[in-house]
Amino acid sequence: MGGAISFQDVGMCFRMHREKVTTLKEALLGRFRHLKTADEFWAVRGFTAEIRAGESVGLIGHNGSGKSTLLKMAAGVLKPTHGALRVEGRVSPLIELAAGFDPDLTGRDNVFLNGALLGYTRRDMATKLDRIIEFSELGDFIDVPVKNYSSGMYARLGFAIATDVEPDILMIDEVLAVGDERFQAKCMDRIRGIRERGTTIVYVSHAMDQVQALCGRVIVLHHGVLAFDGPPEAAIATCRELQGFHAPVAGTPRAV
Amino acid sequence: MTAGPSGLSDLVRRRELVFLLVGRDLKVRYKRSALGMLWTLVNPLLQMTVYSLVFSTIMRVGVPQFPVFLLSGLLPWSLVSVSATSSAHALLDNQGLIRKIAVPQAVYPLSIVGSKLVDMVLSLLPLAIIAAVLGRTPGPSWLLVLPAIVLAASFAAGLSLFFSSVTVFFRDVRHLIDILFQIWFYLTPIIYPYEYLAKLPHPAIRRLLSLNPATPIVRWFQLVLYEGRVPDLRTVVVATLSAAGALALGAAVFHRFEDRHIHYF
Repeated sequence: MGGAISFQDVGMCFRMHREKVTTLKEALLGRFRHLKTADEFWAVRGFTAEIRAGESVGLIGHNGSGKSTLLKMAAGVLKPTHGALRVEGRVSPLIELAAGFDPDLTGRDNVFLNGALLGYTRRDMATKLDRIIEFSELGDFIDVPVKNYSSGMYARLGFAIATDVEPDILMIDEVLAVGDERFQAKCMDRIRGIRERGTTIVYVSHAMDQVQALCGRVIVLHHGVLAFDGPPEAAIATCRELQGFHAPVAGTPRAV
Repeated sequence: MTAGPSGLSDLVRRRELVFLLVGRDLKVRYKRSALGMLWTLVNPLLQMTVYSLVFSTIMRVGVPQFPVFLLSGLLPWSLVSVSATSSAHALLDNQGLIRKIAVPQAVYPLSIVGSKLVDMVLSLLPLAIIAAVLGRTPGPSWLLVLPAIVLAASFAAGLSLFFSSVTVFFRDVRHLIDILFQIWFYLTPIIYPYEYLAKLPHPAIRRLLSLNPATPIVRWFQLVLYEGRVPDLRTVVVATLSAAGALALGAAVFHRFEDRHIHYF
């Protein structure tokens, strides 16, 4: 079953210390200086949205618009400094592929380690292992330390694990940019399958065609503030307009 | 599920992760070494040989079967000091994971304590052999080492939680912690007998050293492993209090600052 996320006026305010106090001496000598130079930076501000069970929501916006911060808050990695955030269901974050891999362990060991990090038992993962190996197309490489993997192999294994653990909410942050075309297509197929089973999906990407293909609803972030929430076509148009960017029309050579 | 700090129940739920991280540590540590896990057994023996040479041959501390006495105290001490000094790096070394996957952060220092605990329990085997060879055959009092192990592990866990959190805010701690534990080692009756403390000339120093929270725990190990005695009530009470106190302090500090760590990496 799909999980739900509720953002109520959520804000994430980072205190940026120009002179970051990280040593005892600085803490003692610089007590007053550092108070003066503490700057506030709002990565996300006043964000309110409901993501309901079974929805596929795209999250777009310029670099630094707060998409990843929002995802990290929903994944429980960052605690919002303002507002209320409720997450119902198990989250499988693809914030970065293979986030929990230990380079010295084999692919097989990493499957169990990653599963445990996501909250699954050894027995759970043992039943999924064969499917994960098959999907990732690693074959005998599964027993090789992952530090010897190519970046494509890394990504394939990470993707295979995160999408095989049957999360209630799958959060994907720009991951399909890796792997060859054939594997990308395979990933898209799998995500569609997951969506059809009723899993809630939050998809962050700059690839507008993928967002459009996958999401029924798209949220646009602009400098940490919700700028638009609605159907994909209008969202993409809003997003481009906000950035003053006009996508080149296919077939027309761009003027230099 | 809500975002944010983890309670104890969360941690209990993630115990399997702690076991896996312990396994990872052991696996990676002994990879590509000819002796592998045997190093766990050889290391304290080498340490014991060095200290025995210095303190029973050169400096003549005058303790019969010195190696047995020394190892009895050195094993719990190493568990505590190595756990705490390694844990000072635990969160910084795992920041890649902490930034991406929401897991109670305490699993990182606690898994270090777990892996050092495995080392210590394995080291009891060479200690038993040495004790038997030197004519102090392990007796029933050895069974009472079990509660002492629990206390030493709790004490180690408390310090590890404390130092792993503090280091995130003050990186100096990484450098200070080694010397701190070296001083603490000499202030704790490990290479010299407990009775020496009572013979110190200045009452102020005597009183100060009697506050050392590591002493009753180390003493318990020495009583049951070396002296073959049941620990006296005072040792039992003080050791339990100091282990519980360290754990409570470490857990409180860690819990209080857990959310802020990520902003200071």
